[in-house]
Amino acid sequence: MLLSVRDLIVRFRTHDGTVYAVNGVSFDLEEGETLGLVGESGCGKSVTNLAVMRLLPQPAGHIENGQVLFNTEDLTKLPEASMRELRGRDIAMIFQDPMTSLNPVLTIEEQMVETIQAHRRVSSVDARARAIELLGMVGIPEPAGRLRNYPHQFSGGMRQRVMIAMALALEPQLLIADEPTTALDVTIQAQVLELLQRLTKERGTAVILITHDLGVVAGMTGRINVMYAGFIVEAATTPELFAKPRHPYTVGLLHSIPRVDAGPEEALIPIEGVPPDLRVAPVGCPFAPRCAWRMARCWTENPSLGPLEPGTTVRTSGPEATHRVACWNPPTADEAAAGAPQRPGFAPAEPPEAAGRVAAGPGANRLAASPESARDR
Amino acid sequence: MRNGPALVGAVCIAIFVAAAVLAPVIAPYDPTVGVLADGKQGPSLAHLMGTDLLGRDEFSRVLYGAQISLTVGVVAVFFGLAFGSVVGAVAGGAGGRVDAVLMRVTDVLLAIPGILLAIGIVAWLGHGQLQIMLAVGISYAPIFARLLRGTLLALREADFATAARAEGATPARILLRHLMPNALTPLIVQATLALATAIIDVAGLGFLGLGPGDPRVAEWGEMLTDSARFLQSAPYLIFFPGAAIVLSAIGFNLLGDGLREAIDPRLKR
Repeated sequence: MLLSVRDLIVRFRTHDGTVYAVNGVSFDLEEGETLGLVGESGCGKSVTNLAVMRLLPQPAGHIENGQVLFNTEDLTKLPEASMRELRGRDIAMIFQDPMTSLNPVLTIEEQMVETIQAHRRVSSVDARARAIELLGMVGIPEPAGRLRNYPHQFSGGMRQRVMIAMALALEPQLLIADEPTTALDVTIQAQVLELLQRLTKERGTAVILITHDLGVVAGMTGRINVMYAGFIVEAATTPELFAKPRHPYTVGLLHSIPRVDAGPEEALIPIEGVPPDLRVAPVGCPFAPRCAWRMARCWTENPSLGPLEPGTTVRTSGPEATHRVACWNPPTADEAAAGAPQRPGFAPAEPPEAAGRVAAGPGANRLAASPESARDR
Repeated sequence: MRNGPALVGAVCIAIFVAAAVLAPVIAPYDPTVGVLADGKQGPSLAHLMGTDLLGRDEFSRVLYGAQISLTVGVVAVFFGLAFGSVVGAVAGGAGGRVDAVLMRVTDVLLAIPGILLAIGIVAWLGHGQLQIMLAVGISYAPIFARLLRGTLLALREADFATAARAEGATPARILLRHLMPNALTPLIVQATLALATAIIDVAGLGFLGLGPGDPRVAEWGEMLTDSARFLQSAPYLIFFPGAAIVLSAIGFNLLGDGLREAIDPRLKR
């Protein structure tokens, strides 16, 4: 196992109180495997990976609990100096915005040579030759001349290519790509993704691809973890997840993206409500307030991630990974296809009275509009 | 630069620097030697700006005064920039408790008016040009320290800083190679603006009798003190050194504002 994250809990201490960013996330990654981490903004997908790299914003962010085993070594216990050696060499990162993740006052050459020399004892001449080779590899024309340019002289797509070249400079075992194409034009997105896929496959680099775009992970990854409010709510291989989504949130995500092959009657179904406030300690299932399938126990008990059929032997990684879901009342295949519960007489459970989180749910609107509260005002 | 005021500023500074550098060539008389019999003469062809009480040529003295003002001003600002940058870089780079302590000390210094602080330091270190430079420099250091620290704090959160950390760069390397070059522009602008006030402060110290200490040296502030008594009989003795101070200060101010406008994209018209 290349990477094994166990019960990772990340909290931020802020002036507004504690932010429950990641609430016990576990996942595995084999050598050369590609894993997609999907979820909406603020669901903890980036924070999970910053925690793996131990790059959480200081002093607010810290790992409260859990292990990050990289080649059986627990990164959470590694001294900072060893961690620094590991960053870039064994685990590399690509960030969302190529416009801001390159230093504007240094040439591409200075930045690439610096990265190479930070980890390898090579002369500047050799490092430069390697940088030219890398730029050529990511498809930048005239690499020797471009090396002397500053970041502002490159277009967005070209800068992301430079970032990919820098990330792969030391042949890392794991590449974490945090929304690598979100800031790019759609046409450039495809090129950059194709490049990323080809280069990592050639080198056998494992990839964690963080994105909110299901279209991006569909073609890029072998396996997908869906995250919501700091929890992994569904984990499956990519074909399995798209064919048989079993968590109401995944179902909602798939129904909220327009499809070219959709029939004229098929409407987009938005996910009602807003993500929970992460400053409130999670009680029950985090998705319950927005869920059409919720039952009474969803308000009070948070389901853990488990196999669809209880008792199955669970495989946590690889192409044969078990389809797991964290839900008390998973939608059936028909319901998943329709995007709404189909059982006769089923209504989503009302939130328990006087619970602290009622205000966050869609039920809050109904309560506010009730005659009693109107009279009170 | 399509910036009128900044151009005017640059011309002022150019005249000022030329006067300082070329003083030995242009000056018609020795600024330290006077003919007592010719004392307190009004402007004439022989003495363009008249003569002072001791019969020294006022024009020559204003020219040589530019030398003093420019060197003292530049060196003082350089001292301030050096002290301030070190403190600001350490505070912004280290953060945490080190930052808190250094910034509280800076706050205390900032609470004291600059000229008062400078007077105190001159009183403590004694008369002399070096002392003035140090005094004015130290009184400016807190501004530079705050500015650099603030810029560094903002830059530390920049994507490229995180990217550099993700590549395994050491904290020292990130500070010196990635953050500092990006933090220099506001410092340069502030230094140009500080030159304007430094010239006024140096003249102010001279006016208060805390100048270079040598009465032969032509220093604009001291020239004002010497002639204040004759404000009614010989107003030109106040006018010319005063105008020199005002024009050079305005020059640096306009240039500094222009630089800031040219560098800061938010202020671009």
